[in-house]
Amino acid sequence: MDVKYINPFINALDHTMATMLGVAPERMTISVKSHNIALGDISAIIGFAGENVQGSIALSFPEKMALLLYRRIIGEVVTRINKDIEDIVGELANIVAGGAKTELENSRLFIHNAIPSVIVGKNHTIAHKGTTPFVLIPFQWETHYFTMEVSMKIESTGLLFKRALAARAT
Amino acid sequence: MKILVVDDSATMRRIIMKHLNDAGYTGTVEAENGLEAISRMEGVELVLTDWNMPVMDGMSLVKELRQNPAYSRVPIVMITSIGARKEVVEALKQGVNNYIVKPFTPSILIEKIKSVIEVTA
Repeated sequence: MDVKYINPFINALDHTMATMLGVAPERMTISVKSHNIALGDISAIIGFAGENVQGSIALSFPEKMALLLYRRIIGEVVTRINKDIEDIVGELANIVAGGAKTELENSRLFIHNAIPSVIVGKNHTIAHKGTTPFVLIPFQWETHYFTMEVSMKIESTGLLFKRALAARAT
Repeated sequence: MKILVVDDSATMRRIIMKHLNDAGYTGTVEAENGLEAISRMEGVELVLTDWNMPVMDGMSLVKELRQNPAYSRVPIVMITSIGARKEVVEALKQGVNNYIVKPFTPSILIEKIKSVIEVTA
């Protein structure tokens, strides 16, 4: 996957964390992930699709960090993952996906984002919409680690052209 | 001033309502989608709505309100993660008075609300 399609997600995450939490998580080494087991205890996934692209983005947090996010944003202490924590993790993913959508348009990639789904539990799976393997982007904030996963399948313009011709022929 | 906050995220509604309260806008009401918002419109002087919501999205809500003589002049601010130019233009064409892209700071939210209130007063 071309890095120009990954950077919009990273930029959107940086902007979201800075604006909503006033923090700047450190991005660690990007790698390829070929299994769908989440690395965190709570994940939010958003599918997206466009004329020549489909994929999904997922944010996955350890429980401790998800609780801390909530405390920093809302100002209330919660001791276990509940509906409010699920809601805020889903909303963060929604905002990151929205920011990436805007920047992807600069690469002529027009997408529509779906509504986020949130999954909770140890070793839960994240069902990406695009192809595997997908890109794993780990971040560190203080002593906490969290991840963003991006899966994206982009059809070549040649393939699109062939498909358009086939559609016209029928 | 009665302000209606429409967002499917309860957390986002709380964040917005807290910022409004801190700025002196008390008496806000909330709804989690466009359909619920329509049922809560009585006496509302300003609507702040998300775009992407289940049941009835923000754009459908804007169209409904603009077609309803009772609410066609109520100012609407869209607060959404969708910041792409095409969508912003579409929202403004449908009658949205101002547009805020998430994530936002409290000052951006309040400045835009004040601006809409001034322009539409």
